[in-house]
Amino acid sequence: MKNRTHKTILILMVCMTSFGFAATATRQLGEVIHQKNSLYNGIFVYKNGSIVSLKFGKRATSNIQSQVDSNDPQRHMLEYSRMTFCGLLYKPEPKKMLVLGLGGGVIPRQMRHYFPTMEIDVAEIDPDIPPVAAQFMGFKEDEKLKVYVDDGRMFIKKQLRRDPVPKYDMIILDAFNGDYIPFHLMTKEFLQEVKGVLADDGVVIANVFYTNRLFDAEFKTFISVFGRSQAFFGAASGNAMLVSPGPACPILTQQEAVEHAGQIQQLHALSFDLVEIAELLRTDIYPDRRAKVLTDDLAPVNWLREQETNKSPAETP
Amino acid sequence: MNNSDSITLTPSAKAIKANRRRLRAVGIIFIACICGWFMMELEILGVRVLVPYFGSAVYVVTGSVIGVFLLSLSVGYMLGGWLSGKISARSALGAAMTATGVWMYAIPFFAEPVCDMIFNIGLDEKWGSLLASLILFGTPTVLLGTVSPTVMHWLTTEASDSGFNAGLVLATSTVASFAGCVVAAFYLVLYSLRMTLCISGAVLAVLGAMVLLSAAMQAKKNLYSDSNGRQQ
Repeated sequence: MKNRTHKTILILMVCMTSFGFAATATRQLGEVIHQKNSLYNGIFVYKNGSIVSLKFGKRATSNIQSQVDSNDPQRHMLEYSRMTFCGLLYKPEPKKMLVLGLGGGVIPRQMRHYFPTMEIDVAEIDPDIPPVAAQFMGFKEDEKLKVYVDDGRMFIKKQLRRDPVPKYDMIILDAFNGDYIPFHLMTKEFLQEVKGVLADDGVVIANVFYTNRLFDAEFKTFISVFGRSQAFFGAASGNAMLVSPGPACPILTQQEAVEHAGQIQQLHALSFDLVEIAELLRTDIYPDRRAKVLTDDLAPVNWLREQETNKSPAETP
Repeated sequence: MNNSDSITLTPSAKAIKANRRRLRAVGIIFIACICGWFMMELEILGVRVLVPYFGSAVYVVTGSVIGVFLLSLSVGYMLGGWLSGKISARSALGAAMTATGVWMYAIPFFAEPVCDMIFNIGLDEKWGSLLASLILFGTPTVLLGTVSPTVMHWLTTEASDSGFNAGLVLATSTVASFAGCVVAAFYLVLYSLRMTLCISGAVLAVLGAMVLLSAAMQAKKNLYSDSNGRQQ
């Protein structure tokens, strides 16, 4: 009996502290300066000093989508947006890039900064996001940087119908916001369509979370479509980048990745340390053998996401 | 002797008859519930069928799928009401269930060519998904829509019961729809979409065939008792 009371008190305390943490986390984001219920998201923009954050939904546990320091727009606030630059290790001079999912527009904006002539297409399903990115997060479209309000899969299908089919050197899949996973952007059939618009020496990068079974399934799906896939595991976050190079693009060892990173770092004077990102590459981690390839027919993505594995690269031998 | 026999027999015969009627009512309502379940299951899975071809934009789900289901149901209600006075309720229900089952079973085999064709015509995700939804789910939903009026007609023997029966049928079949909705959205999505549609279709077709069979038996029995009656 006593034991049970203790347990209850302990659980209560844990709950309260975690609520406390969550509350502080939200408080650190500052005040809500803009909010809108769009067709797809509850859009919340927070501001604390010079730091502007974009969140979908007000829940303390929901992920920060984008963060910008308005005094220093080149500063990468979130680890995952720095990690998406790992694509450069495979394709150092991309000419044409596609990003699925705009959010605060940090990734295309940063890429534009370092590659002023690169052609960048962004597909974003929510028509209310681009104005928010422009108004609060310093995102700007230009002649060669265009946002298309469209479902990512539909956008790619439409490109495939064009003659000739445009080929992208770099494709970043960032349409998963952590709370809701659109299954049709994770399946084998979808990745085959992605492959159709990928240049032979291009590279696909997907932002995922490695802490649950969905990661293994997605990793396996990438391998089944592209033949080869590697992963970069976040050190400060649960984010991982799944990377698959096109047939004419080499796969890297960690040493090669670090070397490439050093060269790119020097050439472009990046605002963050790309070598640090290159070191996150783990070539010794493979998807769980039991994981199944996701298809349009069978893709229990949200269920898999709930099955936590807590597989941190530090813990795996 | 004869007299006393008939006196003791009459109440029990009445009770048996009443019992049988109650049992029959339960059976009829069960059929309505089955159809309610499969209708919502089809609607929820229908979204999953269309999303890979037309994306997950809000108009695919709310506009195209829900819209087509509502329109088809209204056609089905009208058709069911009209048919209920013309053919036997049992055969109408059996036929509707069997045909819907077969259609559901076949959806995985013609969804891809239909959706690809519509996408290639160049229709966008709004009108394209609406047309695809109409082609794929219009017919089975019209057929399932005929069920409610047919069942109400079958249940009602006296005009004064009609309101109660309508309420009963709508309430129970809608609860079944709710269950189908939740089970499909929470659990069936964890399994293969093709397999789920095929198994559901097969189950519905078999149930429909059973109803058709009982309709045929009933017709034979009626014919037999009619001819008996004439002989007497």
